[in-house]
Amino acid sequence: MPSNIALFSAIVGEQHVLTNKDDLENYGQDWSRLYTPAPSFILRPGTTAEVSKIMAVAYEHEIAVVPSGGRTGLSGGAVALNGEVVISLERMNQISSFNSVDRTVTCGAGVITQQLQEYALEQNLYYPVDFASAGSSHIGGNIATNAGGIKVLKYGLTRDWVVGLTLVTAKGEILKLNKGLVKNATGYDLRHLIIGSEGTLGIVTEAEMTLTDQPKNPTVMLLALESLSDVSNLLVHFQSAMDLLAFEFFSHQALQKVLTHRDVKKPFEHDANFYVLMEFESDGDEAMESALAAFEQAAENEWLVDGLISQSQQQAEELWVYREGISESISHYPPYKNDIAVKPSQVGDFLQQVDHFVNENYPDFENIWFGHIGDGNLHLNILKPENLGLEDFKQQCAKANPSIFTILQSFDGSISAEHGVGLVKKDYLSFSRSDIEIQLMKSIKRTFDPINILNPGKLFK
Amino acid sequence: MKLMVTVKRVVDYNVKVRVKDDQSGIETANVKMSMNPFCEIAVEEAIRFKEKGVATEVVVVSIGPAQCQETLRTALALGADRAILVKTDEEIQPLAVAKLLQKIAEKESPNAIIMGKQSIDGDNNQSGQMLAALLDWPQGTFASEVSIADGKATVTREVDGGLETIALDLPAIVTTDLRLNEPRFASLPNIMKAKRKPLDVLSTEDLGVDVTPRVKTLKVAPPATRQAGVKVESVQELVDKLKNEAKVI
Ligand SMILES: Cc1cc2nc3c(=O)[nH]c(=O)nc-3n(C[C@H](O)[C@H](O)[C@H](O)COP(=O)(O)OP(=O)(O)OC[C@H]3O[C@@H](n4cnc5c(N)ncnc54)[C@H](O)[C@@H]3O)c2cc1C
Repeated sequence: MPSNIALFSAIVGEQHVLTNKDDLENYGQDWSRLYTPAPSFILRPGTTAEVSKIMAVAYEHEIAVVPSGGRTGLSGGAVALNGEVVISLERMNQISSFNSVDRTVTCGAGVITQQLQEYALEQNLYYPVDFASAGSSHIGGNIATNAGGIKVLKYGLTRDWVVGLTLVTAKGEILKLNKGLVKNATGYDLRHLIIGSEGTLGIVTEAEMTLTDQPKNPTVMLLALESLSDVSNLLVHFQSAMDLLAFEFFSHQALQKVLTHRDVKKPFEHDANFYVLMEFESDGDEAMESALAAFEQAAENEWLVDGLISQSQQQAEELWVYREGISESISHYPPYKNDIAVKPSQVGDFLQQVDHFVNENYPDFENIWFGHIGDGNLHLNILKPENLGLEDFKQQCAKANPSIFTILQSFDGSISAEHGVGLVKKDYLSFSRSDIEIQLMKSIKRTFDPINILNPGKLFK
Repeated sequence: MKLMVTVKRVVDYNVKVRVKDDQSGIETANVKMSMNPFCEIAVEEAIRFKEKGVATEVVVVSIGPAQCQETLRTALALGADRAILVKTDEEIQPLAVAKLLQKIAEKESPNAIIMGKQSIDGDNNQSGQMLAALLDWPQGTFASEVSIADGKATVTREVDGGLETIALDLPAIVTTDLRLNEPRFASLPNIMKAKRKPLDVLSTEDLGVDVTPRVKTLKVAPPATRQAGVKVESVQELVDKLKNEAKVI
């Protein structure tokens, strides 16, 4: 047993120190499933004060830590590779002090995203950040990755809903950032620096989140398209006709995976190459008329070949399964995930170029495309062929990366739209950020974490 | 062969219903309304018969306020040929529903009427049976499988002990259970086409039916809230709780 363990168990209590093999494996990795976890042990603190004491000890003894949320991350951010101490925030899962005037609510970092969504509904309000892993991911993890998801088009990213943060620094100091204010023009907004910092600048222990009104009668359309060349036209067209909540797409291959994996019916009689799932607010007859007219026009313009519309909330949820079920239906391959973004207007061109490259150079690989196309965010998933070993597969994908990212660079795109950099993307940061930018980022890291104990080895090479 | 299908507009299955403050009923203002799920299954079954060439016409009927036209349009988009709305803002109870449908059935003379086994708002499970009695037609309720051939309907029913298969002489009433089929989604091109399909609106007076409610609602109250669960630390604690608190072992 590691020698310094007693220092920590004195803080959190012995029952909240985990050392057995299963726990180490489970708490030592995220959803990327590409690395072999090797943490020293797991700590499960229950309060900000405990986290603060943990960091003070870690700082004194130069012990590296990995903050851990719901471990649904896809970039290896929460992976402990080198004997780090994992700090799981899962016990800090209380929602408290709802303020109906400010429409804010205080969450422990370990509150599950869905828990906050459900809490909001109980207050007749809405927490709009949502994605397929919301049943497991934590608010703390969402903040550390600035999670996006399926409603970004209308509601923005996690960043837009954080009005206050409690942060424990590398030395164990406790900071209260922005304290719930709407307006606060007092210099650098450290809160926003922390959001998306992937556990490299401090540990988030609590957050004040804002809530909003519930969308009115959200209705889902599923559209069948022959090609993506007109998808930007479609987006503009529907955006002008209705109040869009989401505009997502997936390829025929992606749909096939969901149909095999889940017990759901085929949405259309005839297959198409691509599908767009669109959700909009349909508040009254006029909104619905306008939506139907927009569909008719789009069909006349031959931008789509078919479409379905939900007639009930149940059907809206059933239609979402085709989109939200994709990740899960391919996770066993495992897929090599690329979460990339270009400007929404360039999505069609970009996708064509990358698809062409992969098909040409890796004819044996199966590509699954889906993503938040309304935000210019594409998920390219390359599936591991059954006869190829995992290491070989990883190597071949790594070889493909520079070419894909060079295409991406020519579009001024991002190598990580919303999953973060973590371990998976750190070698490629320079495709999206200039050398000077990276130098500045590193000096920020040193300021916050002078002895490099906060999630070391992530984000930068 | 002509099939008649009934559809009801109800509070959406996924909406968490709230009781009105004065306990007179449930809150329906700004609440999502949809087709009763069992009626969706009835519509799906009828259009499958049409697609198979067994039926030549599907007539869909709804009773309720003007907004029921939306529900009927959905059924038309799914594949029904013609719709009839009995427009009323009164509360219509199962017996009145059955009497109104009887009048329409007498006019339309369908070979079979397919209905949901119950609507998820009142959960009465009465209209189909009452209609069968009024028309003096045979009935196959809780259907999980239906076939029609040679003037007979063969209906597999979900009964307590398992499945029961019965043969009915047509005309007959069939009410649908959950496992009968999986309804399709409404296609947008068909929604457009459905706008041009005929939808007739009648009143309860047109049909000469007295719809005065027979049952009076005294009070509506929400079910008692369940206590939140607790996590136990050990098997011993669980056994102890089951023995001494829940007193089930
Ligand atoms: C099926 C599926 C679908 C997904 N869809 C989306 C999507 O649509 N959009 C999207 O943005 N993401 C998506 N993700 C990725 C993932 O769910 C998000 O990145 C999520 O925000 C991670 O939260 P988590 O709590 O699981 O974090 P973890 O995986 O536990 O951690 C993520 C990073 O944050 C750090 N961290 C965690 N908690 C803290 C804390 N309290 N303080 C400081 N650092 C911390 C970790 O060290 C790590 O670097 C998806 C994942 C899956 C599996």
